[in-house]
Amino acid sequence: MLSASDSAPANNSDGAQIVSGQLTSTGLEARLFWRLRAAVLRAMSEGALRNARVQVISVVLASVILWVGLFLLFCQGFLFIQSGIAHEGLRAQMIQVIFNVFFLALSVMLVFSSAIILYGGLYRSEEVAFLLSTPTRCARIVLHKFHETVFFSCWGFVLLGSPMLISYGIVATAPWYYYALLIPFVISFVLIPAGIGAIFCLLVVRLLPKLRTHMLALLGVAALIVGVALGWRVLAYENRDMMAMTWFQDVLARLEFSEQRMLPSWWLSSGLLEAAHPVASVNATGTQIWGERQSWRDSLMFLALLMSNALLLMVIIELLAARTFRASYSGIRGIVPARRKAGLGWLDRATLFICSPFPQMIRHFIVKDLRLFRRDPVQWSQFVIFFGLLMLYFFNVRRFDYAGAMQKWVTIISFLNLAVVGLILSTFTTRFIFPMISMEGRRFWILGTAPINRDAILWGKFCFACAGSLPPCALLVFISDMMLRIVSRSVAVVIIHQVGCAVLCVGLSALAVGLGARMPNLREPSPSKIAAGFGGTLNLVFSSLFIIGVVLLLAVPTVFWAEADSLRIGQSPSRFFGGVIGLGTGGSVLLGLGLTLILGACATIIPFRIGLLAFRRLEN
Amino acid sequence: MIELNSVSRNYGKKVAVDGLDLQIPAGELFAFLGPNGAGKTTSIKMMVGLLQPTQGRIEICGYDVVRDSREANLRTGYVPDEPYLYDKLTGREFLQFMAEIYGMESADGANGIEKQIDQFGLSDFIDQMAESYSHGMKQRLVFASALLHRPCVLIVDEPMVGLDPRSMRLVKDILREETRQGTTVFMSTHTLAVAEEIADRIGVITNGHLLFLGTVADLRARMSSDESLEQLFLALTEEEVGDAVGQR
Repeated sequence: MLSASDSAPANNSDGAQIVSGQLTSTGLEARLFWRLRAAVLRAMSEGALRNARVQVISVVLASVILWVGLFLLFCQGFLFIQSGIAHEGLRAQMIQVIFNVFFLALSVMLVFSSAIILYGGLYRSEEVAFLLSTPTRCARIVLHKFHETVFFSCWGFVLLGSPMLISYGIVATAPWYYYALLIPFVISFVLIPAGIGAIFCLLVVRLLPKLRTHMLALLGVAALIVGVALGWRVLAYENRDMMAMTWFQDVLARLEFSEQRMLPSWWLSSGLLEAAHPVASVNATGTQIWGERQSWRDSLMFLALLMSNALLLMVIIELLAARTFRASYSGIRGIVPARRKAGLGWLDRATLFICSPFPQMIRHFIVKDLRLFRRDPVQWSQFVIFFGLLMLYFFNVRRFDYAGAMQKWVTIISFLNLAVVGLILSTFTTRFIFPMISMEGRRFWILGTAPINRDAILWGKFCFACAGSLPPCALLVFISDMMLRIVSRSVAVVIIHQVGCAVLCVGLSALAVGLGARMPNLREPSPSKIAAGFGGTLNLVFSSLFIIGVVLLLAVPTVFWAEADSLRIGQSPSRFFGGVIGLGTGGSVLLGLGLTLILGACATIIPFRIGLLAFRRLEN
Repeated sequence: MIELNSVSRNYGKKVAVDGLDLQIPAGELFAFLGPNGAGKTTSIKMMVGLLQPTQGRIEICGYDVVRDSREANLRTGYVPDEPYLYDKLTGREFLQFMAEIYGMESADGANGIEKQIDQFGLSDFIDQMAESYSHGMKQRLVFASALLHRPCVLIVDEPMVGLDPRSMRLVKDILREETRQGTTVFMSTHTLAVAEEIADRIGVITNGHLLFLGTVADLRARMSSDESLEQLFLALTEEEVGDAVGQR
């Protein structure tokens, strides 16, 4: 070991200075990084509780509400299966299929999310650049970021999976060791797809550094095609006897692909179901599939299978990182992005022409924001992905049969779809529109010294947000109506949906711009961190409340009115309250519409006015 | 102590550093000068192991930075132009982390931390979270962490940016003192007055090529001028920049 002197550095016989450190062992290094993580987490938690208590409470409360909601939903679902499917073997098979499909879908998502998150964490992180200049092992750096990746990519799994697993345990009256095994099962399972994603990420960057984006895009497209093909295979079903025995058998046959014995998702679901069923059960063919004495042993065998595979993947990651990471990091830094020329000038000119009724200053701010939006792939790609997925869902809405018992749900589903569009839009306005003022504030030395009217900046952003959100949202809502066959049945309901959509777009835009100007964060350079701060959280909460208000005001009277009268499905208006504005009458729908417009006006004018006043007073 | 043998580094087709040869012995303060985009930061990143040379070989205290990167990094202290700190750690926690990363014995680490706190005047804010530090405070803390394990080689990229006059004086004095004690200091800077004041030798790089290597006195002799380093630097690089513009 190299030793240290007290004051001046010591020199060896060649006159070379002797450093006071030494290379650390693998174990010490691992413990050091776990202590670092613990210290950072402790400081973050204490800071959040001290400085952002409202935000923490909102997030915890929202998570608890979501968890409880999901728990109750899953409980109801499992009770429905228990009471609705009399045949014990078929019931067991159905549960196994549900678990298989759920965990398989999560596996695929975890592979991609962990590969993408790890790529950002390893190759674009200032922390990694700092650590690489120290004597830290490359394998430790990669494992350090991999653990972060697993945490970030699997919190959704915990939030979605835990209510399902616990509710199943309760419904199936599982023994205590089922609950005790949940955590080791879930951790071992999550490490497998996340590990595969990490290995994939390291290999792609090492072997194909110049093509990494293309490779990821190609795999994304491939995954999308496989997903759509599987979805089509499952949902391309025209049997009108939904929930009948033949329907169940057909669905089970279509989901057979999830029962491959080599899939970790099958190991997990089998292991958990073994633990949950100490009592013997039989499958559809009458064979005993869960033995009382065997079940916990079999469950432990599946756990061992998951753990050994997870550990093997960790070893592969460590070896790969030690051999390739420094070279791949250096390689990726050597790639110079091609210099892009500013194109699409015609789009700017078209925007200027379309916005010609607005004052010149506002038009130029709109064009500037449009340029920033289209030149930032993070913004438009998320927009395209989320709205693309929604469109995919809306196009598949008609796969369900609404001609029979489900018909009374059509109007309710249409309003739920409107709410979903609003909620997705609110995440975009929070993530991208809310931080715009803060980002503008960082360039305030330009704006503050320029001879411009500050109001024009906010008006420009408001118009940009409205113009950017209204066309895609209106299109999505219309597609939903078309697929639910509302367009052919009731134009009035379509108009109500479009009015609701417009109110949501304008109100959510004004909320984001107004609150963004009222609560700017001029010190934070990252828009995502601005959105995740107190102001962003508040914007999301207000947006959610606004969406709930608008949808309820429109949906309640319209659903009763549609059911009673307009869609002519056999219910008499007399079944409902009488009078001009009683539920089920056209008057109540008009009243709801009026109240929606008033709520929309309040949600637009009040925050926007507050934002204007605050922005006029803003100092750099 | 620092040895670069025919080192080149490409970014795609662009050659950022082209056949750089340098030998900097122990106890020398070397200032690396050049206009923006000349290849200074690329050279430094290769020395600390963030980038690998496309060609050539770099040794720190006899250790190849590619093959024996951990050994080389153990003997190097690095102060980047944009210091990285964990926002949610205090300055003291950060120094403790660095002491452990460099494998210092706990007593040795504790003594070293107290010495650096005293040397860089960190005591007023050392127990506050790094997120509340100004750029100058961060820079001083990073200097302290780079010197904590008593490296043989100190590599400093733009050390004076964001420092007030008192801190600049402190840093200059410390760099000279480290050099006197046998540390090799490699400093990249645009602050030519500082280079003129404290450097033993200077190297001027433009477009990846080393234009000049020697003392300021050597440069004056070559340029047949008694002017300041700033004037000499401008005159030396003018011709090269003119050539580069002409080639475009």
